[in-house]
Amino acid sequence: MSLVFYAWGEPVYIVIMLVSTLTDYCFGLLLDKPNMTSVKRKGIVACSVIVNLMLLSYFKYADFLIQNVNALIGTNIPLTELPLPIGISFYTFQSMSYIIDVYRGTAKAQRNWIDFGTYVALFPQLVAGPIVKYSTIAEQLKHRSENMKMFAEGVRRFTIGLSKKVLLANNIGLLWDTISSSSPETMPVLTAWLGIIAFAFQIYFDFSGYSDMAIGLGLMFGFRFNENFNKPYIAQSITDFWRRWHISLGSWFREYVYIPLGGNRRGLAIQMRNILIVWMLTGFWHGASWNFILWGLYFGVILIFEKWWGLSLLQRAPRWIRHFYAIILILIGWVLFAFDQPSLIVGYLGAMWGFNGQALWNNETIYFFYTNAVLLIVLIIASVPLKQWPRTSGLSIAHLVWYGFLYLLSVAYLVDATFNPFLYFRF
Amino acid sequence: MKQISERLLVAGFIGTTFLIAILFFILPQQRFSELENRYLQAAPQLTWDNLISKKFAEEAESFITDHFPFRDKWLWVKSTSEQARLQQENNGIYNGKDGYLFEKFLEPDYTKVQQYTESVNQFASKHPEVNMTFMLAPTSIGLYPERLPWLAPSYPQREVNRFIGHQMEDEITFIDGFDVLTPHASESIYYRTDHHWTTYGAYLAYVAYAEQKGWQPLSQQDFLIETVSDSFLGSYHTRSQFTGLTPDFIEVYKPRDSAPTEMYIADSNQTLTGMYDESFLAKKDQYSYFLGGVHALMKLTTELDSQQVAQDKLLVIKDSYAHNVLPFLTNHVSEIHVIDLRYYNGSITDYLNENGIKDVLFLFNTATLVEDASLLKLN
Repeated sequence: MSLVFYAWGEPVYIVIMLVSTLTDYCFGLLLDKPNMTSVKRKGIVACSVIVNLMLLSYFKYADFLIQNVNALIGTNIPLTELPLPIGISFYTFQSMSYIIDVYRGTAKAQRNWIDFGTYVALFPQLVAGPIVKYSTIAEQLKHRSENMKMFAEGVRRFTIGLSKKVLLANNIGLLWDTISSSSPETMPVLTAWLGIIAFAFQIYFDFSGYSDMAIGLGLMFGFRFNENFNKPYIAQSITDFWRRWHISLGSWFREYVYIPLGGNRRGLAIQMRNILIVWMLTGFWHGASWNFILWGLYFGVILIFEKWWGLSLLQRAPRWIRHFYAIILILIGWVLFAFDQPSLIVGYLGAMWGFNGQALWNNETIYFFYTNAVLLIVLIIASVPLKQWPRTSGLSIAHLVWYGFLYLLSVAYLVDATFNPFLYFRF
Repeated sequence: MKQISERLLVAGFIGTTFLIAILFFILPQQRFSELENRYLQAAPQLTWDNLISKKFAEEAESFITDHFPFRDKWLWVKSTSEQARLQQENNGIYNGKDGYLFEKFLEPDYTKVQQYTESVNQFASKHPEVNMTFMLAPTSIGLYPERLPWLAPSYPQREVNRFIGHQMEDEITFIDGFDVLTPHASESIYYRTDHHWTTYGAYLAYVAYAEQKGWQPLSQQDFLIETVSDSFLGSYHTRSQFTGLTPDFIEVYKPRDSAPTEMYIADSNQTLTGMYDESFLAKKDQYSYFLGGVHALMKLTTELDSQQVAQDKLLVIKDSYAHNVLPFLTNHVSEIHVIDLRYYNGSITDYLNENGIKDVLFLFNTATLVEDASLLKLN
């Protein structure tokens, strides 16, 4: 089932996934042999990590490397121009987490190759996460319970995810498309801010919508995945933001890179180095381009600042200042994320602060605001935690009507899908 | 209670999903969408090659969205909810005032516009013996900026027309559609739901051209004006699917003493008697009633009395704005050659020489002109 789904999008690349799965299945069994020396065990883990990283590098980073080499020393190596296999960033990371968990003994090797294949290629979350760590799901692979309660919960979760993606992300994405395609030199300040706010909403609702759909489908099939988002835009600091945004990726890097590098136990200098390495890699994971590395380092530097002085300073400030501080830094981060040309990044940031000499707003700004006002209000409401609505716990008639309405409206928007980008295609 | 509502939710979800799937397979499938005026995706062929190249998956996806059960009802739901949230545009179409829809027009790339104008100039200088006229009609958004949604972004087409008029060499007579149409702006010169001008708008353009050529244009009294359709929802409606619109009328001006016109369509090597194709009035794209839609090369031959003939031959290089103007011109010219550069790939110079043509009319609207590079094919 998962494989059919995958082959639908990538008929040829399914081979790659099968190869990666098979090698790690074998490596896992080898690790589990009782008479392995620790050197051999280390060797096996290294091999597995290298195989996975090679796959990832070849398909995701080769062209980036070639371009940079060509630019630096003037060679003319042709680009591979391979399309990125769907989900490769997700399933290679999952395979690695399995091998490392088995090596560390936090999980037992999976002998049943069907169960292992199911773990790697679990179709609900294959495309856009969350990244499921093997140790969290090992038990569920064996004792999966499908029941009405979980299925109903899955339906609700899936419907919410679908409407986030189709009703919210796609529509505010149209505004970002309009604004980002106009020239930053003539852009008024408020248009620039509105544009990047639109992008922030688009990327959040797109990505968290996919995660919700994955979690919902998982529930329908009897799996319970970890949450991937927790209302990131109410964050009070950048540290807080990264505890709420793409949680599964953050904890992967924390567990498999930051802590093995020594974490915070080996002195300030080492810790600082570790933070920067982790954040550079986090950025690079998001896409093979310099702006993603920059984006990662940008957050790395802010996190270091917060760790040593910032957070204690922030504690003294009122709540709204902390929130304001976090939002501004997040939005500036999205500018780095959204454009891959340095001139556009500089131009857009300039427009946000009025360095292009434009007015605060013009008629177009007002038009953008009022034609999207209703949507923006909905987006804000959907981004903050609300009291349970409808108020009754469990499922009331109001719930049924609400989910039915969201589902049917999403279908209507999908049928007229002239605009349906997949924002996380680079991963 | 909780148990029951959980079951209801699950049953509803699975039920709706399966119901849609079942309806998809049992409902009869259309080949052509009248509403959207296009052929729908046919069922994909499952072959190994199609599968490997992803063609099967892509076609299957369009097949499903195209043949979705009650597709038009779903489109209506989306368009209504978009209007309810104050969104004033859908797929690049503004929902304007007084029932007018408009196609968004933003500042064009002037270096390109200059190249197109340059191409016309160059063509003119290669043919000093040929009389050339260039008529540039605005689209409705150019004439009615006050009918746009409040503060909607739009660039004045008048500026583009002025720029092109300035760039054009003196040997080409330039007729700015704004000068022709502005005095009549309060009359219905444009369709509200389509990107073309009405037959009355076309009549005004004809009068302007005739006067410039020194012909005696026919007055409106010389025509029998007939309404052939009162149900025209045009291309703007097709693209936007906005609801609550009043359909447009289509009028046809038939000269009281008319000479028969033969229409030769080179694309299909057909000769038809008459310039109107009634079959389109029953379809979505009713504007194709005029000349039967777009053709790369046509010839309109009319048996005129010798005192009616103002001119033997004329070549019209055009976009679809010419389709309802050409019938007027047949009252003065016995042989009109019509070329659509977007689809005609031969040499225009050869064509002029082979047919001994000494007069050329360029007729375009501003929106096509700035978006379409086909004028570069002139030379």
